[in-house]
Amino acid sequence: MSLEVINNPLFITIQDKGRYGYSHIGVTNSGVMDEYAYLFANKMLGNSLDTNILEIAFSNAIFKANENTQIAITGANCEFFINDILKECWQTFNIKKGDVIKIGKILDGNRVYLGVFGGFNIKKEFGSNSTTIKENLGGINGDKLKKGDVLPFKSYTAKYNKRLKKEFIPVYEDNLILRVILSYQHENFSKEEKKKFFSTIFRVTNEFNRMACKLSGESICCDINGIISEGISFGSIQIPNDGQPIVLLKDRQTIGGYPKIGSVLSIDCFKLSQAKANTKIKFEEISIEEGTRKVRDFYSSFS
Amino acid sequence: MIFKVASVDSLIIYFGDIIDEQIAKNVKKAYHCLQKQNIEGIVEIVPSYTSIFISFDILKFDFETIKELLQQRINLDLSDTFEEKIITIDVYYAQEVGFDLVDMSLKTNLNIDEIIEIHSNKLYDVYAIGFLPAFAYLANVDKRIAISRLSTPRKIIPKGSVAIADTQTAVYPQSSPGGWNIIGRTACELFDKKLEKLSLLNVGDKVKFNSISKEVFLSQGGII
Repeated sequence: MSLEVINNPLFITIQDKGRYGYSHIGVTNSGVMDEYAYLFANKMLGNSLDTNILEIAFSNAIFKANENTQIAITGANCEFFINDILKECWQTFNIKKGDVIKIGKILDGNRVYLGVFGGFNIKKEFGSNSTTIKENLGGINGDKLKKGDVLPFKSYTAKYNKRLKKEFIPVYEDNLILRVILSYQHENFSKEEKKKFFSTIFRVTNEFNRMACKLSGESICCDINGIISEGISFGSIQIPNDGQPIVLLKDRQTIGGYPKIGSVLSIDCFKLSQAKANTKIKFEEISIEEGTRKVRDFYSSFS
Repeated sequence: MIFKVASVDSLIIYFGDIIDEQIAKNVKKAYHCLQKQNIEGIVEIVPSYTSIFISFDILKFDFETIKELLQQRINLDLSDTFEEKIITIDVYYAQEVGFDLVDMSLKTNLNIDEIIEIHSNKLYDVYAIGFLPAFAYLANVDKRIAISRLSTPRKIIPKGSVAIADTQTAVYPQSSPGGWNIIGRTACELFDKKLEKLSLLNVGDKVKFNSISKEVFLSQGGII
């Protein structure tokens, strides 16, 4: 009653909503990079919304099912095969014992999500299955998946499958607008620098992982060089001395000493997590009230 | 207390803007005060040198409502009723594990024994935890041995390494890249899944380093 990893995939981690309540001892929140794709996968499977899932980055992952189950596949658009037959994403599928599931090339986006009915039966560490490799926590032995890893689940055969309406399937474009709430040290950036920040077209660089996404573009200058280390939020935008913004994501450090101009709305960070290198990024200011409404609407739509 | 927005679902409270014992004391008071109350809807409370970062459930609070609640709930006038914990960490100080001792000796004009004496003679405060799980920032290191970070960080610093960066000192809870000056090693587990609090050190604790011999270090399970 399990899914077995057949090849040596490049980067698959087990994730869930994240690990909360341990930031004060330096343990990061971790969790899925794209909650939109994650929540839809669980919703389509009828799972509880915090059920664990596989986050598949980079191409080429092969699994074999050792028992019947129902899977959902969401996130990045990819070449997705069941027993060598090409299938579409953002759907659920019944899988039979012996079936081979393959993720080939990732076509648009960065991260594919593969969930099973009821989730994988893996022991949680500090309340979560989320894998943080640098902390050696979660997943299987705190590491990415390797050939031969076995992911147990409860056998299940669904009566019918679901497919997400086309209007809800995201299109990962080459231009992305990220809404920003001015916060933290924004008063240490002059009017001119803020104007530059909100008018520059930045680009996503290759320095992009589960911790953070570094952008390149016009250099943004801060009045101060560094700050006394303090707690940092998901989506906050650090401006280091080179003036190139860094958006902090799920595996960010819990505290840090670079000035921050603001924070990208969490729901926009999910879109950023699917942006390829060179994607054009423009920041747009949003008020805290409006931002709160947008984020509440997002979560309410899933409950 | 100055409240500032951090993100839609988090804020930061500043208690001052310099590294200072009195400010740290207020951080500690407010932190203990909030921990005790266990307010539903608060997700993370992260104390640091001059601030406390708080994240919250956005479906329960927004910036204004949580700010109002916190202003009511945090009382800095209370006398220090929380227990003051002093934790002793045994350290094997020697060149074979303290890679930067010789270099520090040259920079400070102190001999290695004097550096060890100065480092282990002081009681340090845990000001913040971060960078890695259970990586505690301890201060203040005596000015005579306050050496700045290496210009090129090391790719790997072994687990248990005791280090100095300017007026701060710390123990690496696990092997990691890092740029601090390494002066010794401990067999102490700082991040222990068996501990109730997981982290040996917590913000507000005090730490004393105790110099031990190689034999004792090895008998404690230390690895060279």
